[in-house]
Amino acid sequence: MSRFDAVTCLGCGCSCDDIAVTVEGASITSAERACPLGVRWFGDGGASSAARIGSRSVDSTTALAELGQRLSASAGARRTMIYLAAELTVAGQRAAVALADRLHARLDSVSSDSVAGGILAAQRRGRCGATLGELRERVDVAVYWAVDPAERYPRFVERYLPRKGRRVIAVDVGPTRGPADADERLLVEPGQEIDVLSVIRAASGGRPLEQRPGVLARAAEIGKTLASAKYVAIVYDAEPGEQPRDAGRAEGLTALAQGLNTPTRAALCGLRGGGNRVGAEQVMTWQTGYPMCVDFSSGAPGYRPGQPASALVAAGVVDLLVVAGDFRSVPAGVIAGLRPGQIAVIGPGATSAAPADAIAIDTGRAGIHEGGVAFRMDDVTIPLTAVLPGSLTVADALAQLGGIAPGSR
Amino acid sequence: MSSLRIKGGKVHDPANNVDGKIQDICVRDGKIVDTLPADTPVLDATGLVVMAGGVDIHSHVAGSSCNHVRRLLPEEHAADPVPAPRLLDGEGPARSGSGGTVPSTFTTGYRYAGLGYTTVFDAAVAPTGARHTHLELNDTPILDAGFYALLGNDRFLLDQIARGEREKAREYVAWVLGATGAYAVKIVNPGGVEQWKNGSRNVSSIDDQVGAGKTTPRAILETLTDAANALQLPHPVHIHCNNLGQAGNVATTLATLQALSGRRSHLTHLQFHAYGGGNGQPWISGAPQLVEYIDAHPEVSVDVGQVMFGNATTVTADSPVEYLLSASSGRKWVNVDIELETGCGIVPYTYKEKAAVAALQWAVGLELFLLSKDPWRVVLSTDHPNGGTFHSYPELIRLLMDRSWRDEVLKRVNQKMLAGSKLLDGIAREFTLNEIAIISRAGPARQLGLTTKGHLGIGADADITLYAPDADYARMFATPRYVIKGGVIVVEEGQLRRAPVGRRLRVTPAYDASIGKDLKTHFDKHGTVAFANFPVSQELMGPGGGR
Repeated sequence: MSRFDAVTCLGCGCSCDDIAVTVEGASITSAERACPLGVRWFGDGGASSAARIGSRSVDSTTALAELGQRLSASAGARRTMIYLAAELTVAGQRAAVALADRLHARLDSVSSDSVAGGILAAQRRGRCGATLGELRERVDVAVYWAVDPAERYPRFVERYLPRKGRRVIAVDVGPTRGPADADERLLVEPGQEIDVLSVIRAASGGRPLEQRPGVLARAAEIGKTLASAKYVAIVYDAEPGEQPRDAGRAEGLTALAQGLNTPTRAALCGLRGGGNRVGAEQVMTWQTGYPMCVDFSSGAPGYRPGQPASALVAAGVVDLLVVAGDFRSVPAGVIAGLRPGQIAVIGPGATSAAPADAIAIDTGRAGIHEGGVAFRMDDVTIPLTAVLPGSLTVADALAQLGGIAPGSR
Repeated sequence: MSSLRIKGGKVHDPANNVDGKIQDICVRDGKIVDTLPADTPVLDATGLVVMAGGVDIHSHVAGSSCNHVRRLLPEEHAADPVPAPRLLDGEGPARSGSGGTVPSTFTTGYRYAGLGYTTVFDAAVAPTGARHTHLELNDTPILDAGFYALLGNDRFLLDQIARGEREKAREYVAWVLGATGAYAVKIVNPGGVEQWKNGSRNVSSIDDQVGAGKTTPRAILETLTDAANALQLPHPVHIHCNNLGQAGNVATTLATLQALSGRRSHLTHLQFHAYGGGNGQPWISGAPQLVEYIDAHPEVSVDVGQVMFGNATTVTADSPVEYLLSASSGRKWVNVDIELETGCGIVPYTYKEKAAVAALQWAVGLELFLLSKDPWRVVLSTDHPNGGTFHSYPELIRLLMDRSWRDEVLKRVNQKMLAGSKLLDGIAREFTLNEIAIISRAGPARQLGLTTKGHLGIGADADITLYAPDADYARMFATPRYVIKGGVIVVEEGQLRRAPVGRRLRVTPAYDASIGKDLKTHFDKHGTVAFANFPVSQELMGPGGGR
């Protein structure tokens, strides 16, 4: 039996790194302090190390050779999409970007179909944020905007914004509710969301407002409350949920957080999903300059934020989708419309999750079978521990592929 | 490894008192050696100027703050796409990237080397962000690189100072540097960033109280300066003073210098801290006052932080300054408060010739260079990308070497705030090639304690740049004919042909292990990263040993 302390969980973007993992034989038998989501994420640590080409079982070298040939045939590789799914270490993400660069391919990640609105808002306006430790120490008023972290980020409150000593304001947008134990609630109809944000921002800035009815009057009061706080955290779910949201939400919240820094201090905190999704944006940004939607077809990275992977697939301009990471995290729109044989997956559980006609190569899972680094939801890096031995890593597989697939130059 | 004789070049190696002498430089196994066999391959340097590779003492190239800038400015990258360079066969795949004020990592390495620079330090890294910086430096080829760890607004340190535990503070400094793989201590607006984060906005003098504790910027400066010197770090504390960018801030800067009198210290981007006026009086240059002090105090070194006209991006841990700049400029703004350690603020900015303050800043920087008597202690920087990007270094060198060109530019700029300035009165000085070698290589290396960098003596790293003489000094320094890094020719005939991996420059000072107990308690109470997970792994720190 082996025990590993201070292990990082990538079950959600909280990336809690206080997990004590016990391993017996080849299995994880406990993950102390992990939330239910984390316990599921660790599972028993079992991992397949198979590979297949369609339904034909092969070894990973054979599968990679076949994928290399298909890459060569993919219209000079310029109709190839390298796609960063979740559950990759930074090393895996670096290797994926390098391959896309070499192939003059398209490059994207799960971010373009999930958090693009927030990324683009921040590129237009900038942003005011804080790391989670800073929030825990400073915040006296927390606004949960249409999110209850307990649902998808179970330990967020416990670890980063404990309830005690804070005033909590829940803004419920339609059926999307904030925390049940909030000190104050504001119920907003979905169509009113941007108006409410504007009124809160104006009131917090001390601008005189004409008398407003109902929810807008309450919004003005909340604006004054925020302006008199010491440090405000505005928490929202940056990842897509089941309920539709106003496309202007991210920009409105960004503007509100920035504006609050004149009367007081404030930060916007976007909750992010697990599996080191943030890392994909970070690596793409430092290697290309862009956090998503990159086009290498000219030989240098171009930014195509209006052309996420899902749109390119829908337009029929992707001949080969190479997914690095956990295929189960890929949005349906990215896969829909691809023909048989146009998908290859290199990642944990690939042979069981990928379509029957795909090339699939199993790897270990980042943070369980592979050590390295991941980014927390607040852009802070956290080390990953390999608590179980793994077979192939995504980085190694992609490096092998890079040696096989001819570049277009 | 290979050997090479660089034959017949005109060598400018001020650290070894060589000023334009025609001589050979012998390279073997990445080092400069005394002699080589007669049949050693020769690089004909006849007619070329030979200097050590450039050493940038203060830049912002890698890590969380730089990536915030990159993410903020896609429009800059779109205007400057960078295809992969064509390296020689067998030299590994090169990488494409993008430019702008903060280029992508691979492009940063290629472009610095393309200017003849081979050693670069990132001047501001939050300890929590060190792992990120190492990741980016691992993707920044060619350069030997390191970074300075941001201290002076961090809760643990402020608590020690408030309790009078200065020895414990020193042990903490040693631990942080080793755990993060940093090279030196950086102080940014001591106490002021903490004030911004706790809602008190900023400090305005070095004797203001910080937070609720018995701490002041003066105490922070003294504690960290003494710690760095007691630990015998190769580079002393690297100080970004309080009141950056404020009219009248020369008084604060002088107070800082006087507070640290007799102690070895380095003040960075001094230009941004060298303004007179204020309190209703117009801005004026404070450069002469600072130069007078620095000339008389050999324990002090500075880098200038020259402003260059054109696009820049201000990025600093001095987040209250960026709040003000955002409000006054209306440009987009990033603020990130970091983990009870420090902050980060970003505002893109354009320095315009016709803007009075920008013109004053430009003039102040040039005065610092031109009035100083000791170029070894007043070295080149633009605080890339704050005062201008590293791409502008050749133009800055031209301004220093060519008075007629300087005067021509001076005629174009807004002179409203320059009345009575030394520059407007006329400064005849023109830097020599040896003086350029001092401010861009030998001086920074000496201030950094890099004994094998910045010179061409026996045992030095074979980091060498060869320039073709040109009356247009900007053109000369923008396009080195050859750049050699660690004995490898990376630029040949002006083309990047090889891109070897650079080394990491860092220190591992000894410390009393008992500090670990206090730190563990602090992390358990205030941290969100486990104490055990804070140190950066040796594997991630990359190849070391550059000193």
